[in-house]
Amino acid sequence: MSAATAPPSGTTPPAGPFVHPALFYRDEDEYLAGTVPFVRAGLAAGEPVAVAVPGKRLALLRDALGTEADRVRLLDMREAGRNPGRIIPGVLRAFADPQEPGRRVRIIGEPVWAGRSATEYPACAQHEALINAAFEGRAATILCPYDARDLAAYVLADARATHPTVIAAGDSEARHSDSYDPFGVVARYNEPLPPAPGALALPVVAASLSTARHTATAEAARLGLTGVRLDDFALVVAELATNSVVHGGGSGTLRVWAEDGHVVCEVSDAGRLDDPLAGRRPAARAQRGGRGLLLVNLVCDLVRTHTAPHGTTVRGWFAA
Amino acid sequence: MGKRGELSSGAVDAPPRLSVSPLAGRSGVRMAGEVGLSTLPAWRQALEQVVREDEDVYLELSSVTFVDVAGAGALADAAGRLTEGRRLVLHRPPAALRRVLEMLWPDLTEIEVCA
Repeated sequence: MSAATAPPSGTTPPAGPFVHPALFYRDEDEYLAGTVPFVRAGLAAGEPVAVAVPGKRLALLRDALGTEADRVRLLDMREAGRNPGRIIPGVLRAFADPQEPGRRVRIIGEPVWAGRSATEYPACAQHEALINAAFEGRAATILCPYDARDLAAYVLADARATHPTVIAAGDSEARHSDSYDPFGVVARYNEPLPPAPGALALPVVAASLSTARHTATAEAARLGLTGVRLDDFALVVAELATNSVVHGGGSGTLRVWAEDGHVVCEVSDAGRLDDPLAGRRPAARAQRGGRGLLLVNLVCDLVRTHTAPHGTTVRGWFAA
Repeated sequence: MGKRGELSSGAVDAPPRLSVSPLAGRSGVRMAGEVGLSTLPAWRQALEQVVREDEDVYLELSSVTFVDVAGAGALADAAGRLTEGRRLVLHRPPAALRRVLEMLWPDLTEIEVCA
């Protein structure tokens, strides 16, 4: 965006079609002062409005909106956005894409909260950065609240890099962020994943795909996954392993282990993942293929990737 | 097969199978086995043949144990080639197939599932 300020309240037309401010707040009053007028301005303009924030904030906002809340799509981000990689296809574009073409949509999305783990956080920062690419040229306003009292300083610094504009705590206007650098954030959090000691490791080639899936799924069952979650695990293992065989140099290594109440699977191969939005675009009905990584993002509780010239690792977590 | 912390070796990998047989008395086929990279061509070919019939198509899938996303996609493609008003009816598909179709092809109305 070229404009120095972009008021989120809709009183001035935005300079570009996509508007993506971060809102820093220190307490409930600042939260409501930054979000309630934003929602009301959208409703007054006839815009579809969605709010996807952690449950406690959702309840706060619902109470403040009163009967107007009935006209807003409300989602608990702790569930809908548990895996940050799911938020673009499963929450934001899932709400925006079916709306009348050309109509501006308005969303409050709060994917980062103080309870996010150190394992989840890099995926959160990359997600926030990739929203800009996923919505480029679209008539949408996505306001992202950040708890400036409880979140670490580096998290707030990252928010300044992933949002073209920032509304400072206590301020009412969005101001241009000098440190805006979304692809820098995507690259910085493309971190090598820590090794998994004691993991079951299985070689994957075309001829062993089925056996590897069966063995990995039996291990996941032994580690505590059941029912639909176990079905999802088998699907994820199949997609990641098949990707390695088809796109990752013909072979890979599949690993399965337990970690902090989760069953984790990972596939490493010699390929390189060049498209940062892979698995984050909702699939158009006419489109063939390209849905494997989308499925992985939709069913995992967390997905982390590391890609480098010599190889790629994709790791998926399932709460046991 | 695998041991903790090291790659397993020498595992015997039985190739996954997919069998296709005609249904008696109605248009469609019974499939058995699993659908993954190596059995996808057979699955796709069977689907392409059955959707050419000029009536609703039945797929008896109670002995299909796994269908990956590409296999679900082949089903969606086949459904898209049905002429207006015809349906693809899945008899007892694996639960995960239904879930994949709902998640990734939510607008597909030509596929009907009977448990």
